[in-house]
Amino acid sequence: MFKKIIKLLSSLKFTIFLIAVLGVIFAIGLWIPQARLVKDIYLQWYRNSPQLVEWLDFFGLTTIYTGPITVTIWILFFINLALVLWQRIPVVKHRIALSDDKITDPEKSPGYPFKRTFLLPQGMDGAAVLTQLGKRRYRVLGGPSGFYAVQNRLAPVAFMLFHVSFYLVLLGGLFSVYTEFIAYLDIAQGESFHGEVSRYNVKPAIKMPAIGSAPEASFTVKSIVPEVSGNTATGVNVELVDADRQSHLVHINTPYVTGPTSFVFKHLGMAPHFVLKDPSGKEVENALVKLDVLRMVPDKFDLGGYNFTATFYPDFVMVDGKRASRSREFKNPMFFLVAEKNGQKVGEALVPKDGVFQFAGNRLEMPELRYWVRFYVITQRGLPILYLGFAIACVAVIWRMVFYKRELVGKVAETPEGRALVIAGRSEYYKSLAEDEFVKLFSKITGVKLESDNEN
Amino acid sequence: MAYWEMIFFWVGLVIYSLACGGFVYSFVFKNPKVMPKMTALVAIGFVCVTAAIIARFQATGHLPWSGHYEYTLMGGWFIIGGTLFVGWQNKMLQGLAVGTLPLVVIMMGYGYMQNPGLTPMGASLKTVWLYIHVYFAWLSFGAYSLAMAAGVLFLLKSKPREVPNPAYDRFPSLGRLDELIFRYVVFGFITDTIMICAGAIWAKDLWGSYWAWDPVETWSLICWLVYGITIHLRVTFNWRERRLAWMAVAALSTVIISFFGVNLVVNTSLHVFQVR
Repeated sequence: MFKKIIKLLSSLKFTIFLIAVLGVIFAIGLWIPQARLVKDIYLQWYRNSPQLVEWLDFFGLTTIYTGPITVTIWILFFINLALVLWQRIPVVKHRIALSDDKITDPEKSPGYPFKRTFLLPQGMDGAAVLTQLGKRRYRVLGGPSGFYAVQNRLAPVAFMLFHVSFYLVLLGGLFSVYTEFIAYLDIAQGESFHGEVSRYNVKPAIKMPAIGSAPEASFTVKSIVPEVSGNTATGVNVELVDADRQSHLVHINTPYVTGPTSFVFKHLGMAPHFVLKDPSGKEVENALVKLDVLRMVPDKFDLGGYNFTATFYPDFVMVDGKRASRSREFKNPMFFLVAEKNGQKVGEALVPKDGVFQFAGNRLEMPELRYWVRFYVITQRGLPILYLGFAIACVAVIWRMVFYKRELVGKVAETPEGRALVIAGRSEYYKSLAEDEFVKLFSKITGVKLESDNEN
Repeated sequence: MAYWEMIFFWVGLVIYSLACGGFVYSFVFKNPKVMPKMTALVAIGFVCVTAAIIARFQATGHLPWSGHYEYTLMGGWFIIGGTLFVGWQNKMLQGLAVGTLPLVVIMMGYGYMQNPGLTPMGASLKTVWLYIHVYFAWLSFGAYSLAMAAGVLFLLKSKPREVPNPAYDRFPSLGRLDELIFRYVVFGFITDTIMICAGAIWAKDLWGSYWAWDPVETWSLICWLVYGITIHLRVTFNWRERRLAWMAVAALSTVIISFFGVNLVVNTSLHVFQVR
């Protein structure tokens, strides 16, 4: 029974089956809204069809990428891969081994489909042929009376490396998952951050690592400069100064990286500095308010007991008596503010930078208009292992599939027509294309133009 | 679209369409003589499309790497470039255009119907990883398309007929076509692997996570797995000839879905194939 299970688990048919099942699972994950990935769509779907969603939840199909079925398939896949690799070790060893046993008679060698005999030109002997093969990266055993030559002998090792790289990716991925810290941080120009967990946004919830603690980081946001051309955001430059007074520039695609932690730019907003003064001119309250208004959707804030609704126009213009923005460029920034008290509107006005909003005898001044950014803060400690896995996978797949093994057995024999080279050759993966390659090779070596047998 | 871009785009597309008709004619009416002329026509169309790309580059200041229109423009360029390259290396492979040309004509037509407007390079695309990721993506798409075309030729040529079609005599032997399918699949798989790895590294910098089960990301993985299965079936289970040819033709659908299909049904992808 145990042997049967091992046989099944180590079979290549089982590998194909598992890969196919994984492919199907991934495809299902695209069709069924995933609770963690598209939460809003999932919740709406749940409201519409609670029974169906609960049923799919039960089978883990709404968290399919981390669900029990998928995890089981992954475990089986890696067990299968380990067993297959273990079985292949002696095969690979045998394939890369060099021994004189491989020198056989080319005329009688089975498994070598390419067989040709050609006359060597005057003055060329067997030793010269072997030297030429050596120059073309063939490792040669034996001599002119009988030789074995192999190119890319170690290519089968790349098979092992490619599949071992999967384990590195797995290891790096697992290590990253268990050391993962995820949080969002909203921070305005001029503000400082010293790694306080309380400073991170409450929503979405902070994900603390299973192993380790929240990351340590300390910096001040020196400047935030967005770049917009026409209606396309073409860049944002955020300058941070760390505790050692070192300056770091953060762009989209260039996070601030400190140790295993990255501060990735996610979002840009407006941070006006408002000062509220009462009718006597006395300051009631002042604050740097982070408003999420760049999507042309109003945002709300409270100040001095009043509720405000703010709409922002980066390039303000009045069109047919309506407020609008000519473009997304920050050419004429303008706020439209509505003030309310106990649900009753008490005033509204357009407020530019340095402008004043007067309502119910109060003055709301806006002496400064800054930006704020939202950083996606993520710590993953397994990335070096993961990237090593990627690098090995890329190198190994090229090595295995491009620099595949070619083998030749041959001898130089004296015939009534003259000295002749008798050759038998084979290559991994290809027969017809390899024969063309061998014909080209020996045309170059002997200087005699040879024709391929299979031009068609 | 820039002025010259529009002219060269349409001239190129019309030439491709004419050549496509010519290739189909040579097969249906068993007239292989027109094939070299059609290949020359494809080369002229390729020059026109190259000129359209240059004109767009001049107008926008960046290579056409984003949006459906730009993807189809560059993708078509890579596929036809690959077809011409292998046809130039081996005249017997000029017939691959019968598989790749219709694909490119449809792709370019579809791309034009999306958004061909001139747009500045989005902030998220200003990175060297874009060039690595997209370049290898197109290399793999080109190679998989050639595998599909070689598969189509194999299926056409291997079909038993009472009256032989001389058009097929111009193609390589079935044995060679079979190996060419595998060779193109292998090349596509290598570039696909590099594309996915480069994409993951870029995603880490851009989105903070190297893998987020984004729909396009996920479908790329499915595509990679399908071609991985194809290679395993060939190497381990000796799937050859018609079975391999069918596999190469069918597997291309995963690539097409990855590039064009995912965003049609799912609007949650972070991949900006559509210019919004």
